[in-house]
Amino acid sequence: MAQRFRSTIPYFLGLAAAAVLYALADGISYTARPGQLGPDTWPLAAIAIIAVVCVYEIVRRLLVAGSVGSEVQGIAEHLDSDELDATAAEAKAGSRTYMLLAGMALTLAYAVVVQKLGFLLASYLFLILFMYLGGIRNHVAIWASSTIGMLLFAFIFLKVVYVSIPRGEPPFDQVTQLVMDLMQIR
Amino acid sequence: MLDILIQLGAGFINCMTPANLLMLVVGIVVGLLVGVLPGLTLVMGVILVLPFTYSMDITASIVLLTAMYVSGTYGGAFTAILFRIPGEPLDVPILWDGYTMAQKGRAADALGWTLIAALGGGLVSAVIMVLLTQPIATFALKFSTPEYFAIVAFGLASVIALGRGSLPNAFLSLGLGLLIASVGTDPIYGSYRFTLGLPILADGIEFLVVMVGAYGVGEVLARLEQGFASKPVEKIDQTSTRLPSLRELFALRWMFLRSSILGNVIGLVPGAGATIASFVSYGVEAQYGKRRKEMGTGIPEGIVAPQSASTASVGGALVPLLALGIPGSGATAVMLGAFMLQGVQPGPQILLTSSTMVYTIFASVFLGIALMCVLGFYFIRMLVKVLDFPEAIVSAFVMLMCFIGAMSIRNNLTDLWLMIGFGGIGYLLERFRFPIAPLVLGVILGPIAEESFMNAMISFDNDWTVFFTRPISGTVMAAVIVTLLLPFLSLGRRRRSEPAEASSQPR
Repeated sequence: MAQRFRSTIPYFLGLAAAAVLYALADGISYTARPGQLGPDTWPLAAIAIIAVVCVYEIVRRLLVAGSVGSEVQGIAEHLDSDELDATAAEAKAGSRTYMLLAGMALTLAYAVVVQKLGFLLASYLFLILFMYLGGIRNHVAIWASSTIGMLLFAFIFLKVVYVSIPRGEPPFDQVTQLVMDLMQIR
Repeated sequence: MLDILIQLGAGFINCMTPANLLMLVVGIVVGLLVGVLPGLTLVMGVILVLPFTYSMDITASIVLLTAMYVSGTYGGAFTAILFRIPGEPLDVPILWDGYTMAQKGRAADALGWTLIAALGGGLVSAVIMVLLTQPIATFALKFSTPEYFAIVAFGLASVIALGRGSLPNAFLSLGLGLLIASVGTDPIYGSYRFTLGLPILADGIEFLVVMVGAYGVGEVLARLEQGFASKPVEKIDQTSTRLPSLRELFALRWMFLRSSILGNVIGLVPGAGATIASFVSYGVEAQYGKRRKEMGTGIPEGIVAPQSASTASVGGALVPLLALGIPGSGATAVMLGAFMLQGVQPGPQILLTSSTMVYTIFASVFLGIALMCVLGFYFIRMLVKVLDFPEAIVSAFVMLMCFIGAMSIRNNLTDLWLMIGFGGIGYLLERFRFPIAPLVLGVILGPIAEESFMNAMISFDNDWTVFFTRPISGTVMAAVIVTLLLPFLSLGRRRRSEPAEASSQPR
């Protein structure tokens, strides 16, 4: 029974989220036009889908989850594939949560510092740290591929396909300037 | 007909310009590499090259993305046959007979059949694509808002019913996608919805931000959690390709045609892509083929059926994108994004306003398929060598491409934060077995669905029966209902067959 309750947690959370979103959608301000649906109709329909499905899943999991094959699944789920199932099983077995958390932290850190350090420097550091995090221990490969990759990115996105990327704040913007000077980018 | 041929001829000439030809070659090579690398999916690959297209000519950028899409359905077959590593889920049926054939010392034959299947399936599908797009676009000019809504509803229903995973979870994923799509300024009233006081959210959330996050960052995080543990690759002695003889090909002609047409038709259905085409085609051959009892033992039919169908699905998927402006798969959704970033809206009008571009894209599909097979024939050893490349290095660059992709869509760092957020959502969805495709298609098709629904309600005095009473929209809505019933019918059949199987088991 505890297992059944545990499996309903995501759907209870979904239901709570639907309630919050309903309140937000209900607060959308507009001047009503007679005989015309309002701008809240569509979001409310989407919220209704979420709420109805959550209630359905909670009831199903609590009442009938134990019965064989009670879950309706997409057609592709029944495609006979031991290889796909095996891959999923292998993935579950080899789970490394600490790596995931470190990867998430690194990604968030990138977003925090990219404006200050500039795209080139922040990305260079990100590449190096991510490769170490991914288990590569060949230092030459890491530093060489990061340096070459970074210069290549700078060349492509600053010279060939111009994309507006953060230059960085002083003194870190000097790194971007140096690379641009090296590549004669004006 | 003559007009189509003349325009296609002009398309071939346009395709031969240095810029288009270069993009074609680059797209084919990158698509093959993406297909070979197990950590990189086809959709992810197409998303990652998107930032490179921002300052390109629109035709060259679509040629690049189309070429990647085509060759991405072929590259994974090499590793499936040689190493039993499917580069993409669509390659799984190919390995059942392909790898078995290779194990019997006939790897070159298996690779030869794959090449011919990709070539034949792709070309048949390209011909159908050229013939179908114009009539469908002309027909679609008669569509009003109820018809558009019905077609979008069909696309959403297909992605839910035909996908993997639980149907309720797919609905939740879709609901979330529709909600994300409704963030921003309402197109009819101009009122703000879920903007949380952030100015950038008033412009809505770009679906490319959602796609890059959910497919790119989400996938890399999931692989990182597994420690980038790819299967070790065995050393192989020979990677040559031996093409089948004309007599061998002639013997399989009908099966070839059947699989190619089936793949093309499946590609036409929004939500059903190359993977479903590959599995269904293999399944049809295993049930109705002449050598159905030998399927799985390493026979050419087991390779030709899935490969020709998956490559043929590309031509099919391009038809609704170009003729209706409705993407049916992740890869065509990215193409829609590339069109829109350049200010071009695909749909029934595109053949009237930009026929040169459309026929250049068509021509690039023909040329791309031929080029893909030439590269596959001569450079297979070099292509499978990329498997030696450490996944952590590839993934680090994938992440960086995702960052650039997000930042450059609107030149705003908020999009980077949003993309990372959607990366987290993508990871959680994958982790808890919620399908991602309905979320993404919900975000893409949501605005089209809402606009056509609201306009239909305004035009027809809030009479919702209009979707069912008009001939075209009524037919499509009936198809929506049938599509949504399919998983329930499948569940009923399973329930009936399980007790029968259980009772037939020896005690």
